[in-house]
Amino acid sequence: MIDLAQLGAAVERGDRDSARSLTQAAIDAGQAPQEILDAMVGAMGVVGRRFQAHEVFVPEMLIAARAMKESIALLEPLLVQAGIRPVARAIIGTVEGDLHDIGKNLVAMMWRSANIEVIDLGANVSPQRFLDAARQHEPHLVGLSALLTTTMPAIRRTVETLRQAGVAAPRIVIGGAPVTLQYAREIGADGYAPDAASAVDLARQLLGLQGSPS
Amino acid sequence: MNGRERVLALLDGQPIDHLPLMPITMMFAADTAGVPYGRYALDHRVLADAQCRTAAQYDFDYVSCISDPAREAADCGAKVVWFDDQPPALDEVDALLADKSRLRRLARPDPQAGGRMTDRVQAAALLRERAGAERLVEGWIEGPCAQGADLRGINTLMLDFYDDPGFVHELFAWVIDMELRFARAQIEAGADLIGIGDAAASLVGPHLYDAFVLPYEKRLVDGVHEMGARVRLHICGNTRPLLTSMGTLGADIVDLDYPAPLDEARQAMGPRQVLLGNIDPVRVLRDGTPESVTAAIAACHAAAGDRYIVGAGCEVPRGTPPENVQALTRYAQSTRF
Repeated sequence: MIDLAQLGAAVERGDRDSARSLTQAAIDAGQAPQEILDAMVGAMGVVGRRFQAHEVFVPEMLIAARAMKESIALLEPLLVQAGIRPVARAIIGTVEGDLHDIGKNLVAMMWRSANIEVIDLGANVSPQRFLDAARQHEPHLVGLSALLTTTMPAIRRTVETLRQAGVAAPRIVIGGAPVTLQYAREIGADGYAPDAASAVDLARQLLGLQGSPS
Repeated sequence: MNGRERVLALLDGQPIDHLPLMPITMMFAADTAGVPYGRYALDHRVLADAQCRTAAQYDFDYVSCISDPAREAADCGAKVVWFDDQPPALDEVDALLADKSRLRRLARPDPQAGGRMTDRVQAAALLRERAGAERLVEGWIEGPCAQGADLRGINTLMLDFYDDPGFVHELFAWVIDMELRFARAQIEAGADLIGIGDAAASLVGPHLYDAFVLPYEKRLVDGVHEMGARVRLHICGNTRPLLTSMGTLGADIVDLDYPAPLDEARQAMGPRQVLLGNIDPVRVLRDGTPESVTAAIAACHAAAGDRYIVGAGCEVPRGTPPENVQALTRYAQSTRF
Protein backbone atom coordinates (compact mmCIF):
# COMPACT_ATOMS: atom_id res chain seq x y z
CA MET A 1 0.00 0.00 0.00
CA ILE A 2 1.16 3.47 -0.85
CA ASP A 3 0.92 6.25 1.69
CA LEU A 4 -1.36 8.61 -0.20
CA ALA A 5 -0.13 11.48 1.94
CA GLN A 6 3.12 11.15 0.02
CA LEU A 7 1.21 11.46 -3.24
CA GLY A 8 -0.51 14.58 -1.91
CA ALA A 9 2.83 16.03 -0.86
CA ALA A 10 4.32 15.36 -4.31
CA VAL A 11 1.39 17.18 -5.95
CA GLU A 12 1.72 20.08 -3.50
CA ARG A 13 5.36 20.63 -4.37
CA GLY A 14 4.75 20.13 -8.10
CA ASP A 15 6.95 17.05 -8.30
CA ARG A 16 5.43 15.49 -11.41
CA ASP A 17 7.76 12.47 -11.56
CA SER A 18 7.08 11.43 -7.96
CA ALA A 19 3.35 12.12 -8.32
CA ARG A 20 3.11 9.92 -11.40
CA SER A 21 5.13 7.07 -9.93
CA LEU A 22 3.22 7.15 -6.63
CA THR A 23 -0.07 7.17 -8.52
CA GLN A 24 1.02 4.20 -10.60
CA ALA A 25 2.22 2.38 -7.49
CA ALA A 26 -1.11 3.02 -5.76
CA ILE A 27 -2.97 1.72 -8.82
CA ASP A 28 -0.74 -1.34 -8.93
CA ALA A 29 -1.36 -1.95 -5.23
CA GLY A 30 -5.10 -1.97 -5.94
CA GLN A 31 -5.95 1.08 -3.90
CA ALA A 32 -9.38 2.59 -4.48
CA PRO A 33 -9.38 5.13 -7.36
CA GLN A 34 -11.61 7.46 -5.35
CA GLU A 35 -9.07 7.53 -2.51
CA ILE A 36 -6.21 8.24 -4.90
CA LEU A 37 -8.26 11.02 -6.53
CA ASP A 38 -9.23 12.49 -3.16
CA ALA A 39 -5.57 12.66 -2.09
CA MET A 40 -4.77 14.81 -5.12
CA VAL A 41 -7.89 16.98 -4.87
CA GLY A 42 -7.03 17.59 -1.22
CA ALA A 43 -3.45 18.50 -2.13
CA MET A 44 -4.63 21.07 -4.67
CA GLY A 45 -6.98 22.48 -2.03
CA VAL A 46 -3.92 23.04 0.15
CA VAL A 47 -2.09 24.69 -2.76
CA GLY A 48 -5.08 26.96 -3.35
CA ARG A 49 -5.17 28.07 0.26
CA ARG A 50 -1.41 28.67 0.28
CA PHE A 51 -1.88 30.77 -2.87
CA GLN A 52 -4.55 32.86 -1.18
CA ALA A 53 -2.18 33.35 1.77
CA HIS A 54 0.65 34.45 -0.58
CA GLU A 55 2.78 31.50 0.48
CA VAL A 56 2.97 30.15 -3.07
CA PHE A 57 2.52 31.97 -6.35
CA VAL A 58 1.48 31.34 -9.95
CA PRO A 59 4.46 29.17 -11.01
CA GLU A 60 4.02 26.89 -8.00
CA MET A 61 0.28 26.55 -8.68
CA LEU A 62 0.98 25.67 -12.28
CA ILE A 63 3.52 22.96 -11.54
CA ALA A 64 1.28 21.46 -8.84
CA ALA A 65 -1.68 21.36 -11.22
CA ARG A 66 0.50 19.80 -13.91
CA ALA A 67 1.64 17.08 -11.51
CA MET A 68 -1.99 16.31 -10.72
CA LYS A 69 -3.08 16.39 -14.35
CA GLU A 70 -0.40 13.92 -15.41
CA SER A 71 -1.24 11.63 -12.50
CA ILE A 72 -4.97 11.80 -13.22
CA ALA A 73 -4.22 10.66 -16.77
CA LEU A 74 -2.92 7.40 -15.30
CA LEU A 75 -5.97 7.09 -13.08
CA GLU A 76 -8.57 8.04 -15.68
CA PRO A 77 -9.39 4.53 -17.00
CA LEU A 78 -9.99 3.29 -13.46
CA LEU A 79 -12.17 6.28 -12.63
CA VAL A 80 -14.29 5.58 -15.71
CA GLN A 81 -14.45 1.88 -14.89
CA ALA A 82 -15.56 2.63 -11.34
CA GLY A 83 -18.20 5.07 -12.55
CA ILE A 84 -16.53 7.98 -10.73
CA ARG A 85 -17.48 11.16 -12.49
CA PRO A 86 -16.57 14.81 -12.04
CA VAL A 87 -18.76 16.59 -9.52
CA ALA A 88 -19.83 19.24 -12.05
CA ARG A 89 -19.20 20.54 -15.56
CA ALA A 90 -18.03 24.04 -16.50
CA ILE A 91 -17.28 26.04 -19.60
CA ILE A 92 -14.80 28.89 -19.31
CA GLY A 93 -13.24 31.53 -21.53
CA THR A 94 -11.77 35.01 -21.75
CA VAL A 95 -14.41 37.27 -23.25
CA GLU A 96 -14.49 38.79 -26.72
CA GLY A 97 -11.73 41.27 -27.51
CA ASP A 98 -9.47 40.08 -24.70
CA LEU A 99 -6.47 37.86 -25.43
CA HIS A 100 -5.19 37.58 -21.86
CA ASP A 101 -5.61 34.04 -20.70
CA ILE A 102 -3.46 33.27 -17.67
CA GLY A 103 -6.17 34.18 -15.15
CA LYS A 104 -8.69 32.07 -17.00
CA ASN A 105 -6.18 29.22 -17.23
CA LEU A 106 -5.54 29.32 -13.48
CA VAL A 107 -9.26 29.13 -12.72
CA ALA A 108 -9.73 26.28 -15.23
CA MET A 109 -6.84 24.45 -13.65
CA MET A 110 -8.12 24.89 -10.10
CA TRP A 111 -11.64 23.84 -11.07
CA ARG A 112 -10.24 20.71 -12.71
CA SER A 113 -8.18 20.09 -9.61
CA ALA A 114 -11.43 20.18 -7.62
CA ASN A 115 -12.77 17.41 -9.89
CA ILE A 116 -14.92 19.72 -12.01
CA GLU A 117 -14.93 18.90 -15.72
CA VAL A 118 -13.83 22.03 -17.60
CA ILE A 119 -14.34 22.81 -21.26
CA ASP A 120 -11.91 25.62 -22.00
CA LEU A 121 -13.09 27.81 -24.89
CA GLY A 122 -9.84 29.82 -24.94
CA ALA A 123 -9.44 33.59 -25.26
CA ASN A 124 -11.36 36.20 -27.28
CA VAL A 125 -14.58 34.16 -27.08
CA SER A 126 -17.72 35.77 -28.49
CA PRO A 127 -21.06 35.66 -26.64
CA GLN A 128 -22.39 33.43 -29.41
CA ARG A 129 -19.57 30.92 -28.89
CA PHE A 130 -20.31 30.84 -25.17
CA LEU A 131 -23.98 30.26 -25.99
CA ASP A 132 -23.21 27.50 -28.49
CA ALA A 133 -20.94 25.80 -25.96
CA ALA A 134 -23.54 26.15 -23.23
CA ARG A 135 -26.14 24.49 -25.44
CA GLN A 136 -23.76 21.73 -26.43
CA HIS A 137 -22.29 20.91 -23.03
CA GLU A 138 -25.11 21.95 -20.66
CA PRO A 139 -22.65 23.14 -17.99
CA HIS A 140 -23.46 23.76 -14.34
CA LEU A 141 -20.99 26.65 -14.34
CA VAL A 142 -19.86 29.30 -16.80
CA GLY A 143 -16.64 31.22 -16.12
CA LEU A 144 -16.05 34.58 -17.82
CA SER A 145 -12.71 36.36 -17.53
CA ALA A 146 -11.46 39.80 -18.60
CA LEU A 147 -8.21 41.60 -17.82
CA LEU A 148 -9.02 44.90 -19.47
CA THR A 149 -11.52 47.54 -18.47
CA THR A 150 -12.27 47.87 -22.18
CA THR A 151 -13.42 44.27 -22.43
CA MET A 152 -15.62 44.30 -19.33
CA PRO A 153 -18.69 45.22 -21.42
CA ALA A 154 -18.18 41.92 -23.25
CA ILE A 155 -18.80 40.14 -19.94
CA ARG A 156 -22.15 41.91 -19.68
CA ARG A 157 -23.03 41.05 -23.29
CA THR A 158 -22.17 37.41 -22.70
CA VAL A 159 -24.24 37.20 -19.53
CA GLU A 160 -27.19 38.83 -21.35
CA THR A 161 -26.83 36.46 -24.28
CA LEU A 162 -26.84 33.40 -22.03
CA ARG A 163 -29.74 34.64 -19.93
CA GLN A 164 -31.88 35.76 -22.88
CA ALA A 165 -31.36 32.47 -24.69
CA GLY A 166 -32.69 30.67 -21.64
CA VAL A 167 -30.04 27.97 -21.63
CA ALA A 168 -30.33 25.52 -18.77
CA ALA A 169 -29.68 28.03 -15.98
CA PRO A 170 -25.95 27.69 -15.42
CA ARG A 171 -24.35 29.63 -12.58
CA ILE A 172 -22.20 32.37 -14.09
CA VAL A 173 -18.96 33.34 -12.36
CA ILE A 174 -16.88 36.33 -13.47
CA GLY A 175 -13.38 37.49 -12.64
CA GLY A 176 -10.34 39.48 -13.75
CA ALA A 177 -8.35 42.46 -12.58
CA PRO A 178 -10.93 45.22 -13.22
CA VAL A 179 -13.96 43.15 -12.24
CA THR A 180 -15.76 43.78 -8.96
CA LEU A 181 -18.50 42.16 -6.93
CA GLN A 182 -20.61 45.24 -7.58
CA TYR A 183 -20.18 44.76 -11.33
CA ALA A 184 -21.16 41.09 -11.02
CA ARG A 185 -24.36 42.13 -9.28
CA GLU A 186 -25.08 44.88 -11.82
CA ILE A 187 -24.88 42.56 -14.80
CA GLY A 188 -26.71 39.64 -13.24
CA ALA A 189 -23.81 37.24 -12.78
CA ASP A 190 -24.09 34.77 -9.92
CA GLY A 191 -20.70 35.43 -8.42
CA TYR A 192 -17.32 37.12 -8.54
CA ALA A 193 -14.01 35.50 -7.66
CA PRO A 194 -10.96 37.70 -6.99
CA ASP A 195 -8.51 34.85 -7.62
CA ALA A 196 -8.31 31.26 -8.84
CA ALA A 197 -8.46 29.64 -5.42
CA SER A 198 -11.52 31.69 -4.48
CA ALA A 199 -13.11 30.54 -7.72
CA VAL A 200 -13.08 26.98 -6.38
CA ASP A 201 -14.74 28.00 -3.12
CA LEU A 202 -17.30 30.03 -5.07
CA ALA A 203 -18.06 27.13 -7.42
CA ARG A 204 -18.59 24.78 -4.48
CA GLN A 205 -20.85 27.31 -2.81
CA LEU A 206 -22.92 28.03 -5.92
CA LEU A 207 -23.31 24.36 -6.76
CA GLY A 208 -24.08 23.32 -3.22
CA LEU A 209 -21.10 20.98 -3.08
CA GLN A 210 -19.30 19.97 0.09
CA GLY A 211 -16.62 22.29 1.47
CA SER A 212 -13.01 22.25 0.41
CA PRO A 213 -11.31 18.95 0.99
CA SER A 214 -8.44 19.14 3.40
CA MET B 1 8.02 75.82 -10.58
CA ASN B 2 6.92 73.93 -13.69
CA GLY B 3 6.08 70.22 -13.86
CA ARG B 4 9.50 69.06 -15.00
CA GLU B 5 11.26 71.13 -12.37
CA ARG B 6 8.88 69.87 -9.69
CA VAL B 7 9.43 66.17 -10.45
CA LEU B 8 13.19 66.48 -10.82
CA ALA B 9 13.46 68.55 -7.64
CA LEU B 10 11.59 65.93 -5.67
CA LEU B 11 13.80 63.16 -7.06
CA ASP B 12 16.91 65.18 -6.18
CA GLY B 13 15.72 65.90 -2.65
CA GLN B 14 15.34 69.61 -3.36
CA PRO B 15 12.44 71.78 -2.14
CA ILE B 16 9.19 71.62 -4.11
CA ASP B 17 6.11 73.83 -4.08
CA HIS B 18 3.56 71.02 -4.07
CA LEU B 19 3.35 67.28 -4.77
CA PRO B 20 3.98 66.23 -8.37
CA LEU B 21 1.15 64.62 -10.35
CA MET B 22 1.99 61.70 -12.67
CA PRO B 23 -1.00 59.41 -13.33
CA ILE B 24 -0.59 56.94 -16.19
CA THR B 25 -3.01 57.72 -19.01
CA MET B 26 -3.37 55.77 -22.24
CA MET B 27 -6.97 55.02 -23.26
CA PHE B 28 -8.13 57.90 -21.08
CA ALA B 29 -5.80 60.22 -23.02
CA ALA B 30 -7.01 58.90 -26.37
CA ASP B 31 -10.62 59.42 -25.30
CA THR B 32 -9.81 62.92 -24.04
CA ALA B 33 -8.45 63.73 -27.50
CA GLY B 34 -11.33 61.96 -29.22
CA VAL B 35 -9.20 59.44 -31.13
CA PRO B 36 -9.61 55.66 -31.35
CA TYR B 37 -6.98 53.83 -29.35
CA GLY B 38 -5.77 51.83 -32.33
CA ARG B 39 -4.57 55.09 -33.91
CA TYR B 40 -3.04 56.26 -30.64
CA ALA B 41 -0.93 53.10 -30.46
CA LEU B 42 0.04 53.21 -34.13
CA ASP B 43 0.93 56.86 -34.71
CA HIS B 44 3.26 58.84 -32.43
CA ARG B 45 1.72 62.11 -33.65
CA VAL B 46 -1.70 61.05 -32.39
CA LEU B 47 -0.20 59.83 -29.11
CA ALA B 48 1.80 63.02 -28.56
CA ASP B 49 -1.18 65.22 -29.32
CA ALA B 50 -3.43 63.28 -26.93
CA GLN B 51 -0.79 63.26 -24.19
CA CYS B 52 -0.23 67.01 -24.48
CA ARG B 53 -3.95 67.76 -24.48
CA THR B 54 -4.57 65.55 -21.45
CA ALA B 55 -1.60 66.93 -19.53
CA ALA B 56 -2.77 70.48 -20.27
CA GLN B 57 -6.38 69.77 -19.34
CA TYR B 58 -5.50 68.18 -15.99
CA ASP B 59 -2.24 70.00 -15.36
CA PHE B 60 -0.13 66.84 -15.15
CA ASP B 61 3.58 67.30 -14.54
CA TYR B 62 4.59 64.95 -17.32
CA VAL B 63 3.76 63.39 -20.65
CA SER B 64 4.50 59.79 -21.54
CA CYS B 65 5.23 57.51 -24.49
CA ILE B 66 3.52 54.51 -22.85
CA SER B 67 0.90 52.82 -25.02
CA ASP B 68 1.00 49.02 -24.94
CA PRO B 69 3.49 46.24 -24.17
CA ALA B 70 3.67 44.90 -27.73
CA ARG B 71 6.11 47.34 -29.37
CA GLU B 72 9.36 45.45 -28.83
CA ALA B 73 7.75 42.03 -29.38
CA ALA B 74 6.16 43.26 -32.62
CA ASP B 75 9.57 44.34 -33.92
CA CYS B 76 10.99 40.97 -32.90
CA GLY B 77 8.39 39.35 -35.16
CA ALA B 78 5.74 38.31 -32.63
CA LYS B 79 2.15 38.04 -33.81
CA VAL B 80 0.19 41.09 -32.68
CA VAL B 81 -3.59 41.33 -32.78
CA TRP B 82 -4.92 44.83 -33.45
CA PHE B 83 -8.20 46.37 -32.37
CA ASP B 84 -9.80 49.62 -33.51
CA ASP B 85 -10.27 51.10 -30.10
CA GLN B 86 -8.26 49.20 -27.50
CA PRO B 87 -4.60 48.29 -27.05
CA PRO B 88 -2.99 45.78 -29.41
CA ALA B 89 -2.27 42.44 -27.78
CA LEU B 90 0.09 39.55 -28.30
CA ASP B 91 -1.28 36.20 -29.35
CA GLU B 92 -0.38 33.98 -26.41
CA VAL B 93 -1.34 30.79 -28.21
CA ASP B 94 1.12 31.51 -31.02
CA ALA B 95 4.04 32.98 -29.05
CA LEU B 96 7.21 33.86 -30.95
CA LEU B 97 9.38 31.71 -28.69
CA ALA B 98 6.96 28.81 -28.27
CA ASP B 99 10.00 26.88 -29.51
CA LYS B 100 12.64 28.17 -27.14
CA SER B 101 15.52 27.12 -29.37
CA ARG B 102 14.51 30.06 -31.57
CA LEU B 103 15.97 32.50 -29.05
CA ARG B 104 19.52 31.78 -30.21
CA ARG B 105 18.59 32.68 -33.78
CA LEU B 106 16.49 35.72 -32.90
CA ALA B 107 17.96 39.04 -34.00
CA ARG B 108 17.51 41.99 -31.66
CA PRO B 109 15.46 44.67 -33.41
CA ASP B 110 17.04 48.04 -34.11
CA PRO B 111 14.96 50.75 -32.38
CA GLN B 112 15.69 53.07 -35.30
CA ALA B 113 14.73 50.63 -38.07
CA GLY B 114 11.29 52.06 -38.68
CA GLY B 115 9.11 49.67 -36.70
CA ARG B 116 6.92 50.17 -33.66
CA MET B 117 9.94 50.89 -31.47
CA THR B 118 10.90 53.72 -33.81
CA ASP B 119 7.40 55.14 -33.51
CA ARG B 120 7.92 55.37 -29.75
CA VAL B 121 11.33 57.01 -30.18
CA GLN B 122 9.61 59.53 -32.46
CA ALA B 123 6.96 60.04 -29.76
CA ALA B 124 9.70 60.89 -27.26
CA ALA B 125 11.17 63.44 -29.67
CA LEU B 126 7.80 65.00 -30.47
CA LEU B 127 6.79 65.13 -26.81
CA ARG B 128 10.10 66.83 -25.98
CA GLU B 129 9.44 69.37 -28.72
CA ARG B 130 5.85 69.98 -27.61
CA ALA B 131 6.45 69.92 -23.85
CA GLY B 132 9.63 71.96 -23.99
CA ALA B 133 10.99 72.41 -20.52
CA GLU B 134 7.51 72.66 -19.01
CA ARG B 135 6.76 69.01 -18.48
CA LEU B 136 8.87 65.94 -17.89
CA VAL B 137 8.99 63.49 -20.82
CA GLU B 138 8.74 59.82 -19.98
CA GLY B 139 9.92 57.05 -22.29
CA TRP B 140 8.88 53.46 -21.72
CA ILE B 141 10.40 49.99 -21.94
CA GLU B 142 9.33 46.55 -20.76
CA GLY B 143 11.06 44.78 -17.89
CA PRO B 144 12.61 41.31 -18.18
CA CYS B 145 9.65 39.32 -16.90
CA ALA B 146 7.01 41.21 -18.91
CA GLN B 147 9.00 41.14 -22.14
CA GLY B 148 10.08 37.55 -21.56
CA ALA B 149 6.40 36.65 -21.17
CA ASP B 150 5.50 38.58 -24.32
CA LEU B 151 8.00 36.56 -26.33
CA ARG B 152 7.74 33.15 -24.71
CA GLY B 153 4.07 33.19 -23.65
CA ILE B 154 3.25 33.97 -20.04
CA ASN B 155 1.87 30.54 -19.17
CA THR B 156 4.96 28.80 -20.51
CA LEU B 157 7.39 31.24 -18.90
CA MET B 158 5.85 30.53 -15.49
CA LEU B 159 6.69 26.83 -15.95
CA ASP B 160 10.15 27.62 -17.33
CA PHE B 161 11.19 28.99 -13.93
CA TYR B 162 11.13 25.39 -12.68
CA ASP B 163 11.64 23.41 -15.87
CA ASP B 164 14.54 25.29 -17.45
CA PRO B 165 16.05 28.00 -15.21
CA GLY B 166 19.02 28.39 -17.56
CA PHE B 167 16.73 29.34 -20.41
CA VAL B 168 14.99 31.97 -18.27
CA HIS B 169 18.34 33.60 -17.52
CA GLU B 170 19.30 33.46 -21.19
CA LEU B 171 15.96 34.97 -22.21
CA PHE B 172 16.08 37.77 -19.64
CA ALA B 173 19.68 38.66 -20.53
CA TRP B 174 18.66 38.85 -24.21
CA VAL B 175 15.67 41.00 -23.32
CA ILE B 176 17.52 43.56 -21.24
CA ASP B 177 20.13 44.06 -23.93
CA MET B 178 17.31 44.93 -26.35
CA GLU B 179 15.55 47.11 -23.78
CA LEU B 180 18.67 49.11 -22.94
CA ARG B 181 19.15 49.92 -26.63
CA PHE B 182 15.51 50.99 -26.77
CA ALA B 183 15.92 53.12 -23.66
CA ARG B 184 19.01 54.79 -25.11
CA ALA B 185 17.18 55.73 -28.31
CA GLN B 186 14.34 57.30 -26.33
CA ILE B 187 16.72 59.19 -24.05
CA GLU B 188 18.66 60.51 -27.01
CA ALA B 189 15.33 61.62 -28.50
CA GLY B 190 14.54 63.64 -25.39
CA ALA B 191 13.13 61.43 -22.64
CA ASP B 192 14.04 62.62 -19.13
CA LEU B 193 12.87 59.46 -17.45
CA ILE B 194 12.34 55.86 -18.53
CA GLY B 195 9.40 53.89 -17.19
CA ILE B 196 10.09 50.20 -16.78
CA GLY B 197 6.90 48.12 -16.85
CA ASP B 198 7.33 44.60 -15.56
CA ALA B 199 3.74 43.45 -15.06
CA ALA B 200 4.32 39.70 -15.07
CA ALA B 201 6.81 39.99 -12.20
CA SER B 202 3.93 40.23 -9.72
CA LEU B 203 2.93 36.65 -10.57
CA VAL B 204 6.05 35.20 -8.97
CA GLY B 205 6.96 35.11 -5.30
CA PRO B 206 9.98 36.69 -3.64
CA HIS B 207 12.16 33.60 -4.06
CA LEU B 208 11.86 33.52 -7.86
CA TYR B 209 11.79 37.32 -8.09
CA ASP B 210 15.11 37.62 -6.26
CA ALA B 211 16.74 34.80 -8.19
CA PHE B 212 15.53 35.56 -11.70
CA VAL B 213 13.93 38.97 -12.09
CA LEU B 214 15.62 41.39 -9.74
CA PRO B 215 19.17 40.99 -11.13
CA TYR B 216 17.96 41.92 -14.63
CA GLU B 217 15.71 44.76 -13.45
CA LYS B 218 18.77 46.05 -11.60
CA ARG B 219 20.81 45.97 -14.79
CA LEU B 220 18.09 47.97 -16.53
CA VAL B 221 17.93 50.55 -13.73
CA ASP B 222 21.70 50.93 -13.61
CA GLY B 223 21.93 51.07 -17.40
CA VAL B 224 19.35 53.85 -17.69
CA HIS B 225 21.11 55.78 -14.93
CA GLU B 226 24.40 55.48 -16.81
CA MET B 227 22.64 57.06 -19.79
CA GLY B 228 21.75 60.03 -17.61
CA ALA B 229 18.02 59.46 -17.24
CA ARG B 230 15.78 58.68 -14.28
CA VAL B 231 13.77 55.50 -13.74
CA ARG B 232 10.16 54.84 -12.80
CA LEU B 233 9.48 51.18 -11.97
CA HIS B 234 5.90 49.99 -12.37
CA ILE B 235 4.84 46.40 -11.74
CA CYS B 236 1.10 45.87 -12.19
CA GLY B 237 -0.63 43.62 -9.68
CA ASN B 238 0.10 42.62 -6.13
CA THR B 239 3.74 43.37 -5.35
CA ARG B 240 3.26 43.25 -1.59
CA PRO B 241 5.55 40.22 -1.16
CA LEU B 242 8.24 41.88 -3.32
CA LEU B 243 8.45 45.32 -1.72
CA THR B 244 11.70 44.86 0.16
CA SER B 245 13.47 43.54 -2.94
CA MET B 246 12.03 46.26 -5.18
CA GLY B 247 13.40 48.82 -2.77
CA THR B 248 16.96 47.64 -3.46
CA LEU B 249 16.82 48.43 -7.19
CA GLY B 250 17.63 52.12 -6.91
CA ALA B 251 14.69 53.17 -9.11
CA ASP B 252 14.10 56.89 -8.72
CA ILE B 253 10.34 56.30 -8.51
CA VAL B 254 8.63 53.11 -7.39
CA ASP B 255 5.09 53.28 -8.78
CA LEU B 256 2.89 50.77 -6.94
CA ASP B 257 -0.37 49.17 -7.97
CA TYR B 258 -3.22 49.35 -5.46
CA PRO B 259 -2.84 45.97 -3.69
CA ALA B 260 0.53 47.00 -2.17
CA PRO B 261 -0.02 49.21 0.91
CA LEU B 262 2.10 52.36 0.77
CA ASP B 263 2.88 52.28 4.48
CA GLU B 264 4.38 48.82 4.03
CA ALA B 265 6.31 50.07 1.01
CA ARG B 266 7.66 52.99 3.00
CA GLN B 267 8.76 50.70 5.80
CA ALA B 268 10.32 48.23 3.37
CA MET B 269 12.08 50.77 1.17
CA GLY B 270 13.16 53.41 3.64
CA PRO B 271 12.53 57.15 3.97
CA ARG B 272 14.35 58.29 0.79
CA GLN B 273 12.51 56.20 -1.78
CA VAL B 274 10.06 58.22 -3.87
CA LEU B 275 6.75 56.33 -4.03
CA LEU B 276 3.94 56.88 -6.52
CA GLY B 277 0.33 55.73 -6.43
CA ASN B 278 -1.76 53.95 -5.63
CA ILE B 279 -5.52 54.39 -5.36
CA ASP B 280 -7.59 51.57 -6.84
CA PRO B 281 -8.01 52.64 -10.47
CA VAL B 282 -11.39 50.98 -10.99
CA ARG B 283 -13.14 50.86 -7.62
CA VAL B 284 -12.02 54.31 -6.45
CA LEU B 285 -10.86 56.45 -9.38
CA ARG B 286 -13.35 55.34 -12.02
CA ASP B 287 -16.30 54.31 -9.85
CA GLY B 288 -15.87 56.80 -7.00
CA THR B 289 -16.68 60.47 -6.53
CA PRO B 290 -14.36 63.48 -6.27
CA GLU B 291 -14.82 63.27 -2.51
CA SER B 292 -13.91 59.59 -2.26
CA VAL B 293 -10.97 60.06 -4.65
CA THR B 294 -9.68 62.95 -2.53
CA ALA B 295 -10.02 60.93 0.66
CA ALA B 296 -8.24 57.94 -0.89
CA ILE B 297 -5.34 59.93 -2.29
CA ALA B 298 -4.93 61.78 1.01
CA ALA B 299 -4.68 58.41 2.72
CA CYS B 300 -2.00 57.34 0.23
CA HIS B 301 -0.07 60.55 0.87
CA ALA B 302 -0.31 60.07 4.62
CA ALA B 303 0.97 56.49 4.31
CA ALA B 304 3.81 57.37 1.94
CA GLY B 305 4.96 60.64 3.51
CA ASP B 306 6.26 63.57 1.46
CA ARG B 307 8.66 61.63 -0.81
CA TYR B 308 5.56 60.98 -2.85
CA ILE B 309 3.97 61.54 -6.26
CA VAL B 310 0.20 61.58 -6.81
CA GLY B 311 -1.16 58.90 -9.14
CA ALA B 312 -3.43 55.90 -9.42
CA GLY B 313 -2.34 52.30 -8.88
CA CYS B 314 -2.25 51.73 -12.63
CA GLU B 315 -3.61 53.34 -15.78
CA VAL B 316 -6.47 55.83 -15.32
CA PRO B 317 -9.26 53.64 -16.73
CA ARG B 318 -11.34 54.56 -19.72
CA GLY B 319 -14.62 56.00 -18.53
CA THR B 320 -13.18 57.72 -15.46
CA PRO B 321 -15.21 60.90 -14.83
CA PRO B 322 -13.10 64.00 -15.55
CA GLU B 323 -14.03 65.44 -12.16
CA ASN B 324 -12.39 62.44 -10.45
CA VAL B 325 -9.11 63.12 -12.28
CA GLN B 326 -9.49 66.80 -11.42
CA ALA B 327 -9.75 65.73 -7.78
CA LEU B 328 -6.23 64.27 -8.07
CA THR B 329 -5.00 67.55 -9.56
CA ARG B 330 -6.65 69.60 -6.83
CA TYR B 331 -5.17 67.38 -4.15
CA ALA B 332 -1.63 67.56 -5.54
CA GLN B 333 -1.81 71.32 -5.96
CA SER B 334 -3.34 71.89 -2.52
CA THR B 335 -0.33 70.41 -0.75
CA ARG B 336 2.22 72.96 0.40
CA PHE B 337 5.82 72.58 1.46
